[in-house]
Amino acid sequence: MRYYVDNQHEITIPAASMAELVSGILARYPVLRPHLFDAEGNLRRHFNIFVNGANIRDLNGMDTPLTDGDKVILMASAAGG
Amino acid sequence: MLPELSHEEILRYSRHLLIPEVGLDGQRKLKNSSVLVIGTGGLGSPVALYLAAAGVGRIGLVDYDVVDQTNLQRQVIHGASTVGQLKVESARAKMLDLNSDIQVDVYNEPFTSENAMRIAKDYDVLIDGTDNFPTRYLSNDVAVFLGKPNVYGSIFRFDGQVSVFDARRGPCYRCLFPEPPPPGLVPSCAEGGVLGVLPGTVGTLQATEALKLLLGMGDPLIGKLLLYNALDMSFDFVTLKKNPKCRVCGPSADIHELIDYEEFCGVPGHDHEDGSAGADWDIEASELASRLNSGASTSLSADLLLLDVREPHELQISALPHALNIPLGQLASRLSELDSAREMVVFCKAGTRSARALELLVSAGFKKVRNLKGGINAWAREVDTTLPIY
Ligand SMILES: [Zn+2]
Repeated sequence: MRYYVDNQHEITIPAASMAELVSGILARYPVLRPHLFDAEGNLRRHFNIFVNGANIRDLNGMDTPLTDGDKVILMASAAGG
Repeated sequence: MLPELSHEEILRYSRHLLIPEVGLDGQRKLKNSSVLVIGTGGLGSPVALYLAAAGVGRIGLVDYDVVDQTNLQRQVIHGASTVGQLKVESARAKMLDLNSDIQVDVYNEPFTSENAMRIAKDYDVLIDGTDNFPTRYLSNDVAVFLGKPNVYGSIFRFDGQVSVFDARRGPCYRCLFPEPPPPGLVPSCAEGGVLGVLPGTVGTLQATEALKLLLGMGDPLIGKLLLYNALDMSFDFVTLKKNPKCRVCGPSADIHELIDYEEFCGVPGHDHEDGSAGADWDIEASELASRLNSGASTSLSADLLLLDVREPHELQISALPHALNIPLGQLASRLSELDSAREMVVFCKAGTRSARALELLVSAGFKKVRNLKGGINAWAREVDTTLPIY
């Protein structure tokens, strides 16, 4: 991730839902779009988003509500060894 | 029946025997146990060394690579004296030097759908220390099919991930990552680099988890993923659940045999660079040199544009005169700076990123583009030997 966002590792963006947060991130870092979403607009399968330690796939996906102070982690798979 | 320990072994493992959670029985259990370490690179190095030191009775090593100079910054099981040797042999010698009471089995072959089950079936625990996606999916699927735990670790730059995937008790790697990323989206360590000590941190965590599994002590990292960042010194834990739609461990799994991913999805395989965009698109370093020489009397850059798609800090290592630098990540948004009517040769360190840049340029309508095969490293090897290779 860090590789593509100018070494910004932690950013604060006000958002009431995951969808809002993601569009806020993409507005700031448009170069991320192809990394996060495929041509149909689905979250790529090697990508995971966690809210306070829980995968949004186990919550409400992009509709997962966010409240103040929630910690969101965006994580791509990495193969390095 | 667990094997006995000799007096020498009792002395060697004294500090283990003093821990009640290990003790004499635990040490005998370790002697009776086996671990397969897939990959003897950055992660495999500390894993293999610590498991050998801990007295795991039988350790298997899978790798088909040869030790090279760029490995030594992080692959501490190898040394300057073993550059050029098979990694598995280099590692075995070091492990037996540390502990000659153990057995080290070596598999100097790529881990593939053909041999993976045969190699893995006689080990208690698998350790995924590979450097590429196809082998990671293979290690996972083998572990699921054989009902064994797969201790996962991966690294990139300053970030590490660790988990224990055991489909009998929790999610597997495919539950988390159902599919490998499309080609080009995730850079390898050979392209992006890695802090040398990072695999040390991540690998020793993998070794710790392996010992816990073998001894049945503590809470294994099953259903949890550790995300480590060296710059923040942060350790974040996230919860992983079994994915009900998992194609290999879910109730309606449809993957029942091993897949060699490389064949059909084109994900860059090994953490090595071959740096070709396909024969039609490549230009050899020597050919480029003669092109540039023939135009040397006139202004080079008026004729042929050299486009360097590396990161700016790499230009301090080596550079070509008159080249325009646009890092690959910025290329898509800076196409307007380029003249599509002009001939262009794109290059990077070894030809992988430039091949991707070439794809991007071609899809944007550029026609007169070529990829410098093998990158500036090939140029340094074949044309200008005053440049360093990195
Ligand atoms: Zn699974």
